[in-house]
This record gives sequence, C-alpha cells and structure tokens, in this order.
Amino acid sequence: MLEIKNLMVFYENAVAINNINMTCQGGKVTGIFGANSAGKSTLMYTISGIILDIKKKEEMKGGERITVLGQMTFEGMDITSMKPSERAKKGIILCPERRRIFAESSTLENLKIGGYLATKTQAKKTLDYVFHIFPALNNLKGREGGFLSGGEQQMLAIGRALMAQPKLLLLDEPLLGLSPLMEAMLARAVRDINRQTGITILISEQYARPILPIVDYGYILENGGAVLEGNSQELMDNPDVKSAYFGL
Amino acid sequence: MDILIYGIINSFSLALMAIGFTLVYGISRLPNFAHGALYVITGFLVWSLIHLLKLNYVISILLALVIMGLIGAAIYRFILIRVRGMATSEIIATYALGLAILEFLRWGGFKGMTYTLPVFIEGSVNIVGIPVDFQRIIVIAVGIVVVSFMWIFTHFNKTGLALRGMAQDEHAAMMLGIDSDWMAVIAMAMGSILAGIAAITLLPLGNIVVEAGYNVLILSIAVCIVGGLGSWVGAILAAFMIGFLQIITVAYIQSHFHMVVALLAIIVTLILRPSGLFGRQKELEERV
Repeated sequence: MLEIKNLMVFYENAVAINNINMTCQGGKVTGIFGANSAGKSTLMYTISGIILDIKKKEEMKGGERITVLGQMTFEGMDITSMKPSERAKKGIILCPERRRIFAESSTLENLKIGGYLATKTQAKKTLDYVFHIFPALNNLKGREGGFLSGGEQQMLAIGRALMAQPKLLLLDEPLLGLSPLMEAMLARAVRDINRQTGITILISEQYARPILPIVDYGYILENGGAVLEGNSQELMDNPDVKSAYFGL
Repeated sequence: MDILIYGIINSFSLALMAIGFTLVYGISRLPNFAHGALYVITGFLVWSLIHLLKLNYVISILLALVIMGLIGAAIYRFILIRVRGMATSEIIATYALGLAILEFLRWGGFKGMTYTLPVFIEGSVNIVGIPVDFQRIIVIAVGIVVVSFMWIFTHFNKTGLALRGMAQDEHAAMMLGIDSDWMAVIAMAMGSILAGIAAITLLPLGNIVVEAGYNVLILSIAVCIVGGLGSWVGAILAAFMIGFLQIITVAYIQSHFHMVVALLAIIVTLILRPSGLFGRQKELEERV
C-alpha cells in the first residue's frame, strides 16, 4: 500500500533518515521501533507530508535547511511532493506524537474537527464506532481537550484520526507516558481497529513490549537507518532485540 | 444613565470593528494591518454603487460585502501567501497595502464632508429620557447578530470547526486534511466581510473619511491586544472595557482624549499583562 524507496532526510547536514526502504502491506499492522532520536517521528512527518510544511516555514524564517530525498508511493501514486492536506485526502492520516489535542475545544468538537474530510453519514458512523471502541470518551463529550488525562487524550487523538477516514493510519508513539494498564488497553484497541475496519496501520514506538505482539511486520530503526526487519515472531526471537527492547 | 447607554453602543461599535481583525489573526496568525483600509473601502464602495450605478441601498450593501469578501481572499492569495511565516514582512505588507489603499482614495478625491451613507431607519427613540437614534440601536442589534452568528458558525459548521482547529494547532489540523492556505483565504474573506459589516452599520453615523481607516485600525489593535491576541471572548470583553472607558473619559475629562484611551490601554496591557486578558488559555496549552 505504502512503499518507501531510498528515503533520506537531512536537517542541515545532519542525517535524520538514512536511506530507508520499507513497505506497509494493505490491511496489516506495521511497526517501527527505535530509541529516541532514531528518526521515528521524522519518518512519520515525512510520510504524512508535514515535513514539507516545516521545511517551508523554516525557509521563510531563514532557519534550518531541511532536505528530503527519495521516493514514496501510496497505492501506486507518487506522493513525495504532495501537500499534507492532499495526502490526508488520499487517506494518509497521522495521529501525532504527544497527541496534540485541540485543547480549547471539547472532546466532541475535537472529533467533529477530525471529521472534516468525512461525509455526514461517514462521520456519524465513525463517531459511533469511536465511542464503541473507547467507551471512556462517552462521559467526557463536553469536557475541553486540555482537561483530559494523558490516556484519555490519546484515545481522543486516535478517535480524531479515525474520523478523518484513514486508509493508512500513522500512529506516532501512542503509548508515550501512559500507565502499563493504559498501554495494554490501547494496544488492544489498535489491534481491534485493524481487525474490525481493515485500516492499514503504521505504528511507531520506542517501548516495543506491548506493541510487538500486535504487529504483522516490524522495522528496527537506529540512527536514522533500518537495521533489522522481520515479522513479529522473528523480531521477538532475535537476540539483539531481546536484549535491547525486552531486557532479557 | 447616558454613560451606560452610550457606553454599550460604543462598546458594540468597537466589537464590530475588531472582530474581523481578531478572526484573521486567531486563525492564520496574520496581523491584517489593512483592516482599517478595508473598512473605509466598503464605505466608498457602497456610496459609489448607490450614487454612480444608481442601485438600491440594500442591493448595494450586499454587493459591496460580496466584493469585500473577494478582495480579502485576493489579498491573501496574491500578496500574503508569499510572505506568510515572516511576521515582520506580514505586518509591513499589510500595512503598506492599507496605506496604499487609503492614500490612493484620498488622491482619487474621496475626501471632505460630501460622502455620507443614509441611515437605515430615520428617527430616534427615548430610552429613559435619553434620545437614541435608530441607527445606534441597529449597531447593537448587528453586533449581537454578528457575534452570535460567529459563535454558531464556529461551533456547529464543519468549516467553522476546521477554522478553530487551525487556530489552535496548525499542524494537527493539517494532519486531518485541513488545508492551511484555504483556511487563511476563508479567514481573510470573512475578516474583510466583517470589516465591511462594521463599516456599513457605523458609517451612516457620520461622514466617510479616509482618516477613519487609521482610527479603526488603532481601535481594532487596541481591543485585540487588551483582550489577548486571537481570543474572541477576550476581544469582546476588551471592547466593553475600552468602550466604557472612552465614554467615561468623554463625559468627565474631555472628548478629544477618547483616542488616547485606546492607546493607553495598549501600553498598560503590554506592561501589566502582555498576553492580554485571555492570554491565559495559551498558558494552559503549554502546561498540558
């Protein structure tokens, strides 16, 4: 569904993404694992196109020079230089790191803003689905996004992304700063979303333990490059992964 | 008592003037210093449509508002899009544009006491012994209608909600498929229409003069800074504060000090509380 070829991203002369080749199979969950500064978020921004807007803003300010090289195709279409909003229309929706909820809008409004690209019937159907998969949001409809807890915000962020009718859902560190209980609950929810709706998911996380079992295929990132790849079982059995991510 | 009544009227006038400026800044972080010029253009546009094209008053108003919307959209599409993201250049570009428009109008002969718009309804009423003409009551009515319309639009309409999303976190909105440039075009178009609405309701109270453009700009900026840039609730509250302060100054000190009030309000706000009355909401965002 998504194919990335020879992708390189530079901030000034520092390389953030180093020659990455990867694919996301349609209908599957693909994982990206790596430590801080491995390039996970940059990769997510590059796939969703936000990097192009950051690049434009930096150029305007005379700030950092950002270079993106390589090729990305989504459903056979070249998206490398497509605007972020165009990519979202094609179905690539990013649920960003640190959630970035609209803090001054209520939960329901956050979801409605997420439904900008949806038709009325789609929006209604997805709204019901979001409340079905995250029942905790039901009682928080009127509360402002800024007053939700971290876990509630994360549920809302995923719900908001679902409202945009994604074909490929990018989840950037959805478990960041959450309790183990919430981690397990969200990992289950991600799996359920994939199974029930067939949405292709690309999930990045530095803490692999709760996520690794639910991915179909995974990549390990280190210093901007993909050093290892394989299906869930292969990664879990790999001795390097075991020592680095499971502490065994 | 007359302080109360005229204070309310003055406050609504200020709110009407400032709401367009707040809207554009709140959504696109574009300080539209051509706001005052857009206000004055609307006045002359309506006057021209009535007197040169001999159109009906109501039709002229509607036509003028449509044209203002197009002008606003064009300003963004052809000028501001090129400097977006460079705050100083945005101010220079919009201020230069406003200056050019106003001085061009002056050069074109639109000056003096000859240009007036008719009031909507002639006559006046007595409210507890104080005569208030209908036009001033219409100012209040239009103010209430505009504010409630904006509230409904931004809470229940898809585009309105998207505008609010864009105002709070541009990148998060982009990730959901909301286009930043398109939202800025809409914001500029609406901002210009709001400047137009303010002009059409307020100008029948006096003459259409070029200088009004500068005053409106200063008043809008004062209201926005006191209220907290980009905050709507803050802007309305600030409109009432400055509105009443102006009327009290006129009543107890001297009438030509009323413009000083607005400027002092800016200075005092910047010293005591630089983020404005409702800048607090932004602090909250930082915390979570």
